[in-house]
Amino acid sequence: MLYALIILMFLSLAAIVAAFILLKHSDKPQIKKLANTLFLCGEAYLLFHVLHLIISIIQYGVSDFSVLLTVGEIYVLVQSFAEYTKRSRLRRKLIIAHAVVIIGSIAFLFPLIWMVSTALKLPGQAMSYPPKLIEFPMRFENFKTCLNYQGFQFNLYARNTLYLCILSVLGTILSSSLVAYGFSRIKWRGRDFCFYLTLATMMIPFPVYMIPLFRLFRLYNWVGTFKPLWIPAFFSSAFHVFLMRQFFMNIPHDLSEAAFMDGAGDFRIYWSVILPLAKPVLLVVGLFQFLNTWNDFLGPLIYLSDQKRYTLSLGLQFFQSQHGGTDWNLLMAASTLVIIPIVILFLCTQKTFLRGMTMSGLRGG
Amino acid sequence: MIFKISHAEFCNIKKGLLFISPWIIGMALFVGYPIVASIYYSFTDFSVLLPPVGIGFQNYSDLLKDDLFWKSLNNTLLYAAISLPLGLGLSLFLALFLNQPIKFRDGFRAVYFLPSLVPLIPLAILWQWIFNSRFGILNGILNPLLQPLQASAPNWLEDPMWTKPALVLTRLWGVGASMIIFLAALQEVPKELYESAEIDGVTHWRKFFNITLPLISPAIYFNLIVGIIASLQFFAVPFVMLGRGPADSSYFFTMYIYDAAFKYLRMGYASAMAWLMFILTLVLTILASRVSSRFVHYETDNL
Amino acid sequence: MPQLKRKLNNQFIYFSAIVLAGIITLVVLTAVILPCLAFDLFPSYFRSDIHEGRIKIEYWEKWTGFEGEAMQKVIDKFNQSQSRIWVEKRPISRIEQRFLVSVAGKNPPDLAGLQAFMIPNFAEKGALKSLDELASEFNIKKEDYLSVFWDMGVYQNKLYALPTTPATLALHYNKRLFREAGLDPDKPPRTLDELDSMAEKLTRYNNKGKIKTIGFTPSYPGWWLWAWGFWFGGRLTDEKGRITMDDAGNVKSLVWVQNYARKYGLVRLQEFEGGFGRLLFASPQNPFLTEQVAMELQGVWMFNFIDKYNPKLEWGVAPFPAVEGLENVTLADCDDLVIPTDAPHPREAFEFISFVQQQENMELLCMEQRKFSPLKKVSEDFWIKHPHPYIKLFYELAESPNAKTQPMIPMFQQMREEMNSAFSEVWLLKKTPEQALERVQNRIHRAWESQKRVEEAKSKSQNSRLGKK
Repeated sequence: MLYALIILMFLSLAAIVAAFILLKHSDKPQIKKLANTLFLCGEAYLLFHVLHLIISIIQYGVSDFSVLLTVGEIYVLVQSFAEYTKRSRLRRKLIIAHAVVIIGSIAFLFPLIWMVSTALKLPGQAMSYPPKLIEFPMRFENFKTCLNYQGFQFNLYARNTLYLCILSVLGTILSSSLVAYGFSRIKWRGRDFCFYLTLATMMIPFPVYMIPLFRLFRLYNWVGTFKPLWIPAFFSSAFHVFLMRQFFMNIPHDLSEAAFMDGAGDFRIYWSVILPLAKPVLLVVGLFQFLNTWNDFLGPLIYLSDQKRYTLSLGLQFFQSQHGGTDWNLLMAASTLVIIPIVILFLCTQKTFLRGMTMSGLRGG
Repeated sequence: MIFKISHAEFCNIKKGLLFISPWIIGMALFVGYPIVASIYYSFTDFSVLLPPVGIGFQNYSDLLKDDLFWKSLNNTLLYAAISLPLGLGLSLFLALFLNQPIKFRDGFRAVYFLPSLVPLIPLAILWQWIFNSRFGILNGILNPLLQPLQASAPNWLEDPMWTKPALVLTRLWGVGASMIIFLAALQEVPKELYESAEIDGVTHWRKFFNITLPLISPAIYFNLIVGIIASLQFFAVPFVMLGRGPADSSYFFTMYIYDAAFKYLRMGYASAMAWLMFILTLVLTILASRVSSRFVHYETDNL
Repeated sequence: MPQLKRKLNNQFIYFSAIVLAGIITLVVLTAVILPCLAFDLFPSYFRSDIHEGRIKIEYWEKWTGFEGEAMQKVIDKFNQSQSRIWVEKRPISRIEQRFLVSVAGKNPPDLAGLQAFMIPNFAEKGALKSLDELASEFNIKKEDYLSVFWDMGVYQNKLYALPTTPATLALHYNKRLFREAGLDPDKPPRTLDELDSMAEKLTRYNNKGKIKTIGFTPSYPGWWLWAWGFWFGGRLTDEKGRITMDDAGNVKSLVWVQNYARKYGLVRLQEFEGGFGRLLFASPQNPFLTEQVAMELQGVWMFNFIDKYNPKLEWGVAPFPAVEGLENVTLADCDDLVIPTDAPHPREAFEFISFVQQQENMELLCMEQRKFSPLKKVSEDFWIKHPHPYIKLFYELAESPNAKTQPMIPMFQQMREEMNSAFSEVWLLKKTPEQALERVQNRIHRAWESQKRVEEAKSKSQNSRLGKK
């Protein structure tokens, strides 16, 4: 193990030196790219090795050799970084940004990695000490087992959850954008007061309105159906109205003015001018609402009584038992499956709403 | 004479109300009754299963004498004071970094957003694992590092001093959503502004404070207000993960409301608490709005 | 020419994209939206109180896993034994909250399985149907049961619940560790002093001075921190129904608790116990199973976990020792069946309850859950076939006159939370036992007094209404 580390260290030094040489002696862009890659790899490994050395110094104490080695490597690291970035077209800030993002993502991903690693273990292996990341053989069959475990029916619950998500996303986007338009693009007396009233409804903790709300739904005869979970979405949600309003207020006045001059009524302006411009926000709102509904636990807990109508998050409770012990590996496997669809959804939509539409193309037009 | 409205204004009010009609109808159908009912309940003793009995302000006066109420309020405010600035700062920081042209940027954005996608039940269990002072991975990393300093990693979930930091960490892990909002806002900032600033030789910090911050101030305002409301109502994670916690250190306000309503069947008491919480949130939100009105700029500010 | 080709290409792609989108939408519509929408628009078509011509009884139960399967066996037996009623069990988590909401919304199930401590609260608020008439009609009498379990279903002299599976607590100890420490593995501690001194002998430290094995600590497993007073002659309420959280026995118990924290060192104990939470309980790393805890207070179900995760463990049980003069003290608990008020089919629901109460069915249920039966009459077969090696001890503890239960008053939930909090403060050496108990006594007393004031206001308003008449 130690020899591998030493060999790799020498390799990385060689890579850095090679990068410098290549950079000096060639002008072709492919060679430059190769040089950059070599340099980055070498630097990355050196950085990792330096950190490793520092940790072992802390743990096992100082020895002349290790201190010398660490200091030497740090010097090489910093100098080569400064020199290379001066000569090549690599930007320092960008590299540092890369490093921060990569290290941060390990920290952020870690609990999820743990979740998947538990999903691939046997029940007894979940809590071993010292904790092991991977237990061979990896039990991929857990994913199959958890689909129909003791009352949990993945396909059925996924269908129910999808139904709720589609309808509530539809309802939220339509209604919240309408309401947000009213709160942002029209000046009317009492507008801000009503807006703060909307905000105020977000400030009431849920345990107190749960019971009267349940009574209300009982009155409407909606308890036991899906209705309490998606129909209210068609009447706007304060959070999404707030979000959309912030973005609507950032759209320049001239655009709606121009449409107004052309004889368009407010609804036309809303439909043809503002909505297309607000696509990024609409997508964000849609994503958030989908996410909320997909993971919603409290709502389905109270309003759904028929086991055939359960949602995924409600169904996860089947993996926990009181005195009988929980099958952790199956619970984590099921949870992973539950997350995958929303991850895919996010990956597909984020390009659109994050690349967004900058206002610059519409300035002065 | 006060109510003399011009015809134009009247038309505008009509239009405004028409657009927000979904909200108005929603209020009437779903929101109005529960709110009015809970105000009413706060002046009664209501055990949910029996009709409410009016007792005037007794709930409120009992609350002020209840030291558990003050303890939970204390916990909540402490938690909010720590997690709100940290959360805002971290999500803005991440958004700025992820706005740079990094390779695989889309993938990284997904990575940072991923944690907020995990449903509550497995999430709470994961955290219990990670923070487990014996088998958890966090202490597994910290302990060897702290050994030479003669210290040992904290008992996150059993030491009253460390339960709140642990909860703050779980909250920070979920900043993905607010990061997305900042990202969307950052996308709207025109690149020419930066370019022309660079030509003028403006430093990096000046660019940040004079260009970036003002242009994303609506998003900052949003995240701030939502953050205040959310941190004051912090409930789900500590409820599943810790319960009251050692020496009631993780007993947050909404948890007490929940207990009073569903465990002790004192819905009137719980409603009184909820409305005190509401007033507190309102006051803080108005304060935040006042302060930020000087800093928040909208494109349509003359509207 | 190439431009035309490109135009055609684009159009083709455009066209096929639309077709694809159309197909996807159609699939989504038929597979996802329509079936669920149909359910939403015509709920009565899908719901029914009838199953194959029988009356359907909706039974909410918190059990999952093997416990749920045990009850399902009894249900299947019942469904097969007659053709008028069909019982359908629904696993419900957070059953306390769910039950409350559904009763408040006048949408209750026919039958629910609650834990005993939930009953006084619900009974007092009129959420449960009283079962006295039905019990006498079906010939179910108090004399058939161990009194401690019958009484748990009674509130203010009315019967509201009948037991399903009972449980008691006892001292579980590790015989191998006893031998290693030079103690006789067949002579578990009989007094508290013996317990304390044996615990000392069983505790082992590693070369850094940290605890490797603990003989006993009152903070583990930490499920009944509120109840230690029982083994010291203390109680939480007295005969007159007054709250006595700060009585002498409770104080003595917390002194004993605090002594442990002081004797072994709070920091060392915290380090040792760190992480021994619920997460580890149902796993091979359970500290009793890994022989890191030599003695603990646990319940009759512990055998299930030993059997599953470490069957080679050498273990024994004994009554948990108490102060002078008190013998065979234990804490008894029970799972019960209740019928909510406004239940659609109370009589049929009770038929099922009485079926469960019959000796052979009760024994089937309890045997499958590896617990003992709450009935006085037990068949010999039950004892012979029962997998739990010490099941009889738990049964005898339940028969003992010193089998205690939680106070069956609505305020108990709050009291339990407060007692746990007091334990925590005493354990963390933040307060003395007297201070901690005084504070929780005051808190509960205040809550109790405001309850009284409410009762007064209620009766005043009722009187004034009657007076007006």
